[in-house]
Amino acid sequence: MVSKTEETQLNSLENQVDNGGGGAWEYLCLVRKLKVRRSDKVFKYGLSILNDPKKRSALGPEEWTLYEQVAIAALDCQCLDVTKDCIKVLQKKFPESKRVGRLNGMLLEAKGSWAEAEKAYSSLLEDNSLDQVIHKRRVAMAKAQGNISEAIELLNKYLEIFMADHDAWRELADIYVSLQMYKQAAFCYEELILSQPTVPLYHLAYADVLYTLGGLENLQTAKKYYASTIDLTGGKNTRAPFGICLCTSAIAQVSKGRNREDKESPELQSLAATALEKDYKQRAADKLGLLTSALRSMKF
Amino acid sequence: MAEDLVLDTAIRDWVLIPLSVVMVLIGILRYFVSKLMLSSQLPDPKIVKEGQVIVRARNLRAAANFIPPKSFRSRRVYFSNEENGLLFVPKGQAQNPQAQMFSDPNMAMDMMKKNLSMIIPQTLTFAWVNFFFSGFVAAKIPFPLTQRFRSMLQNGIDLSTVDVSYVSSRSWYFLNLFGLRGLFSLILGEENATDDTQRMMQMSGFGFDPSKSLGAEKDGLDIVQHEWALPKFEHRAEAALKKLIK
Repeated sequence: MVSKTEETQLNSLENQVDNGGGGAWEYLCLVRKLKVRRSDKVFKYGLSILNDPKKRSALGPEEWTLYEQVAIAALDCQCLDVTKDCIKVLQKKFPESKRVGRLNGMLLEAKGSWAEAEKAYSSLLEDNSLDQVIHKRRVAMAKAQGNISEAIELLNKYLEIFMADHDAWRELADIYVSLQMYKQAAFCYEELILSQPTVPLYHLAYADVLYTLGGLENLQTAKKYYASTIDLTGGKNTRAPFGICLCTSAIAQVSKGRNREDKESPELQSLAATALEKDYKQRAADKLGLLTSALRSMKF
Repeated sequence: MAEDLVLDTAIRDWVLIPLSVVMVLIGILRYFVSKLMLSSQLPDPKIVKEGQVIVRARNLRAAANFIPPKSFRSRRVYFSNEENGLLFVPKGQAQNPQAQMFSDPNMAMDMMKKNLSMIIPQTLTFAWVNFFFSGFVAAKIPFPLTQRFRSMLQNGIDLSTVDVSYVSSRSWYFLNLFGLRGLFSLILGEENATDDTQRMMQMSGFGFDPSKSLGAEKDGLDIVQHEWALPKFEHRAEAALKKLIK
């Protein structure tokens, strides 16, 4: 994940470049390092550097990395001719290169010729069966063609070998949620929490999935994870207090007759409700009425 | 012998400095040669998988208190159960990594190339130093040493009464060998093939021993007591919200 300082740095560089202040090369390097997806800007500024022979020669050996970066950005912006030109240049310089082969595969993917792209990728995989990026491109292709079950199968096989790749776990969790396979999605989110326990995003998603699964135990666990999200974000997250209110009322409904062993739940719910009201008053005062009526209906 | 020997400054000009310069140049040469001889070694899938398993098991151990007890237990069983647990390596199968290393021809070639690029320049330089620069005192070490070091540091000097602080050029060679590593990482960047000392340490701990690390992870995992940290979070969330409301 991108840290706060890196994000501010990126945004300030972006502003600077957008307003004609130069510094395009630093911006492109930062985008490459942080692996963020700013394809339109990368395309615009990268292409301007590449078309200017003076600036291009000033880059030295980094020129080829820039070609690769611009080629991928052009694919994202659907300017396939630019991509073809970049690939031609790279192929002249680096014949028989696996990276260029990968770019070719991506070009075929972008054009929509799935079978040829699949052939290109499998031949690359024959040379090196442990290339992570190619495996992931195959999963992306299956997903783009709408073949979700194959995407799941490929992703599972990938994760059997590379089980420490948390981006892959995240993708798998998203796919499972889209297919409403919540139990499997919960497993994936647990993996994510294990690898990065201080990221509140995963706690929140896990709590959402648990709440959707339902059942007393899951609801209680979901409430705890909403609470941990509040703690990790210092109370700034708006979804988590909502989650707490919903969980508490759901638990109350499920365990109607039985005695509940909540030691601190009434306080937590009322605190969450008050925090929400305060937040809405500050930021969306016209919706405050909706909020109070919703909360009241939950509080019986 | 407590008197101070006066060493000719010519020694400094013609022995110490040229020796250091030559070693730096040889280091740079080796760096470029290693870049030329770089062979891309295909990673072994089994080893990659084991590495990833270990990372995942380590994550599980470190963050065990963040997931519900049931999930933790099921994962622990998945990793360390007797029949097909990922970390479980039955005793017979624990492969001898050395045998594996030599049976794989690519790996053996790679090892040999790396060793050769280290051994040959070292041997040649050492022989050169011995031939040209032996038989006289080259430098004085600023701190006193015991008699034990005499055989190591004063190799060409056959007088047993000279103070051990006066050393021969061989010891200057060894000093440079270990000391220039810092200089090389400045000049050549972080990854340079002149890291002899690291390579020597690697040779002693031969290769990646997967079975031992898997066994170690399994033991670590078995020891972990799961103490679910989430209930605590409810209290903390309350406190955070209280602060926010104020």
